Amino acid sequence: MSYEKEIMEKLSRGETSPDRLDISILRYMWDSSPLSFKESYHDFFKKISVLNSFSDNEVRLFTKFLHRREFTTNELIFKQGDSGYGFYFIYSGSVNIYANHNAQSEEQGDFVIRLEKHQYFGEMGLLEEFNRRSATVISSEHTVLLGIFKPDLERMLEMHPVLGAKFLRETALIMANRMGQLTRELIAMKKKLKELEQRI
Amino acid sequence: MKRNEVIKLILFFFFLMTTIAFGVLFPRLTLPFGFSYIIYLMAKPFTLRLTTGSRRQRIIYSALMAVGFTFMLFPLFATLYNADTNFSQFYQQLPELQKILQDHFFKFKVYVFERFSINITVDPVNYLIAKMEAMSALFLGQIPDYLSSILEWFLLVPLFLYFFFKESRKFSRWFMEGIPNPIFEKTYVLFSQFNTKFGEYIIAKFIEATILGSIVTAGLLIIDFPYPFILGFVAGITNILPYIGPVLGFVPAILVALLSKDPNVSMLGMFIVFSTANLIDMILVFPLLVSKIVNLHPIIVVVSIILGSQLGGVVGMIVIIPFIAFFKLLFKEIYKDLSVHL
Repeated sequence: MSYEKEIMEKLSRGETSPDRLDISILRYMWDSSPLSFKESYHDFFKKISVLNSFSDNEVRLFTKFLHRREFTTNELIFKQGDSGYGFYFIYSGSVNIYANHNAQSEEQGDFVIRLEKHQYFGEMGLLEEFNRRSATVISSEHTVLLGIFKPDLERMLEMHPVLGAKFLRETALIMANRMGQLTRELIAMKKKLKELEQRI
Repeated sequence: MKRNEVIKLILFFFFLMTTIAFGVLFPRLTLPFGFSYIIYLMAKPFTLRLTTGSRRQRIIYSALMAVGFTFMLFPLFATLYNADTNFSQFYQQLPELQKILQDHFFKFKVYVFERFSINITVDPVNYLIAKMEAMSALFLGQIPDYLSSILEWFLLVPLFLYFFFKESRKFSRWFMEGIPNPIFEKTYVLFSQFNTKFGEYIIAKFIEATILGSIVTAGLLIIDFPYPFILGFVAGITNILPYIGPVLGFVPAILVALLSKDPNVSMLGMFIVFSTANLIDMILVFPLLVSKIVNLHPIIVVVSIILGSQLGGVVGMIVIIPFIAFFKLLFKEIYKDLSVHL
């Protein structure tokens, strides 16, 4: 729903409209306009494919629930086995993901993938009740992450239920995509294993 | 962990410790601040309903809240209305009460001596009366101090509350930004859970107290027992303290029954009213409203209340429960992490 539409609906329901200039909205609109040089959160989220269905106003509301976290080069974001509560979007920089991390030794484990700007990770932490991180994530350069955590999601569902439901649907889509990818990889691996067995 | 992360962690804990030390050193500021924060947490769920929805919904919700608060606070107004008369009446009857209690205790002493040949040498009745007299003298002497702090609270609490409602989001963002990365997720989630549970617990206890107080008042009105509003109010307020509260709430009613010369005043009736109210509370109200929020073992609850009373008096007895529930949650998290990483 657009901002204008939201205001019109509020008026038709007999609710009061803001009678003064909302500076934060003006600033947000300026930052997200083509005249602004810096990349705003708005432009950033408009480039994230899974959040395509969000209207401009919904993106604006969504950014209110985010936490900006900065990490230096090689800083640990989270360890495999840690309790997970948040979902991160890479605003700038990049991160490396490692599996089979050993907690006793300081080894990072096996390198799995490098995620760059506009990519995301940790969505399971937002949905599962007792989530344990399945991999270790370390920043590979100076990185800025935008994180959304369980309390934020609960607050979003309370304050803006439609937006919350939409975000949950997108998160479920992300997980479904990951599951699909995993299934395809598993099928390919099984196929390879069968070929190897036949050769032996 | 890298050197800069360790420095950030040390700085953060130093800031935290300094804030706690400041709080302990300046209780005149910390107490109204804490009180305002509790009210803010209690009001938070209501503000959401009052600020969203259509105008009609907001009017209905405001009206419902007004009715609820009036119902909750009516016994307090009824009590305050006759407070001076009731207090002087009670003060005049104190020697009579002493005599009645001494008679009962003497009968009990004789019974114990005849039955078990044990001579009770202690005199708890005189001790209690002396203690009560000393306490009331102390209270009267400290009235000017209380009045000045009440005036201070009248000024500070609304001021703090205003800024909590207006700036809490900004302040919590600023605080969250200061939390070092390695402990951010856990601290944020635990902090949010604590805030939610604390607010929910205090609201639930107040609703529980209102229900119990109303049942006791209604019951005492039906059996025509004296001071139904005061006794209902005391029963409700003392009930905020788990396990110990119901017993404390019962004591004034026993004293009133002992002092009363009216033959219609029935000790048994009063006992039935209090027992029924506490049974309803134990079977229905507490499991539905409170137990899900804190979920603590009864022994831990009792030990916590004793600890709370030592640390912060009556207020300490009430607020210690959600704090213990929070520490339980915190230790559970730390233990879970240690069991994975060790």
